[in-house]
Amino acid sequence: MRRRNYWIFGATVLMVGAAGACKKAPPPAPAPTAAEPAPAPPAPPVAVAGVSLGRAIDAAKGVAAPMTTFGVRDTVYASVATTGVSPAATLSAKWTFQTGQLVDSTSQKIAPTGPATTEFHISKKSAWPAGKYTVAITLDGGAPMVKEFEIKK
Amino acid sequence: MSPEKEPLPDFSDVQGGSSSTAPAPKAEQDAPRTYTVAKGDSLSKIAKELYGKAGNWHAIYEANKATIGSNPDLIKPGQVLTIPEV
Repeated sequence: MRRRNYWIFGATVLMVGAAGACKKAPPPAPAPTAAEPAPAPPAPPVAVAGVSLGRAIDAAKGVAAPMTTFGVRDTVYASVATTGVSPAATLSAKWTFQTGQLVDSTSQKIAPTGPATTEFHISKKSAWPAGKYTVAITLDGGAPMVKEFEIKK
Repeated sequence: MSPEKEPLPDFSDVQGGSSSTAPAPKAEQDAPRTYTVAKGDSLSKIAKELYGKAGNWHAIYEANKATIGSNPDLIKPGQVLTIPEV
């Protein structure tokens, strides 16, 4: 009887061992691959960040001393800061007198590759009529950004 | 009797302009720059306005001889001049 138990035990051990030997080895872990570079985020579209008025601009087209009141002989500058990129965009400045009378309208085509500054200016050979004026800046005909200023004698 | 309307201010002598730190679109860069002569303009005045240097009027004249003719002092309002790079 005892001998038979040994046989059973031995056979069981052999079967378990054989089963283990037949078990498929786990696949090797895949070799680490270089992480694919994340696609660059799309460049932000061009947008108007702000408009400043002044009687002079610096080399970077910015207004050093913003103001909203001018003299009758001043040149009026509108410095338009933009952000974003565009292969082709149009900034427009429409200058009007208090009654809505058109003073001047100018467009500037730009292809910004990042933050940029565009200046618009108006001057007059004779004195400006005193009163209130506005300049409306639009980008590609979108909603205008309006700035008001006054010319005083 | 209705009150007389105040005449509208005259803005015909207003000069507007623009410039940008952003480059111009490609198609714009390829197109030649032009200037339409206004009353009272002279080549040196245009050169001063566009180049910042009146002495560059020669470049404008050379690029527009066919339009201007033999007399660089005689340009007419409405003439469209090509403005070369200097």
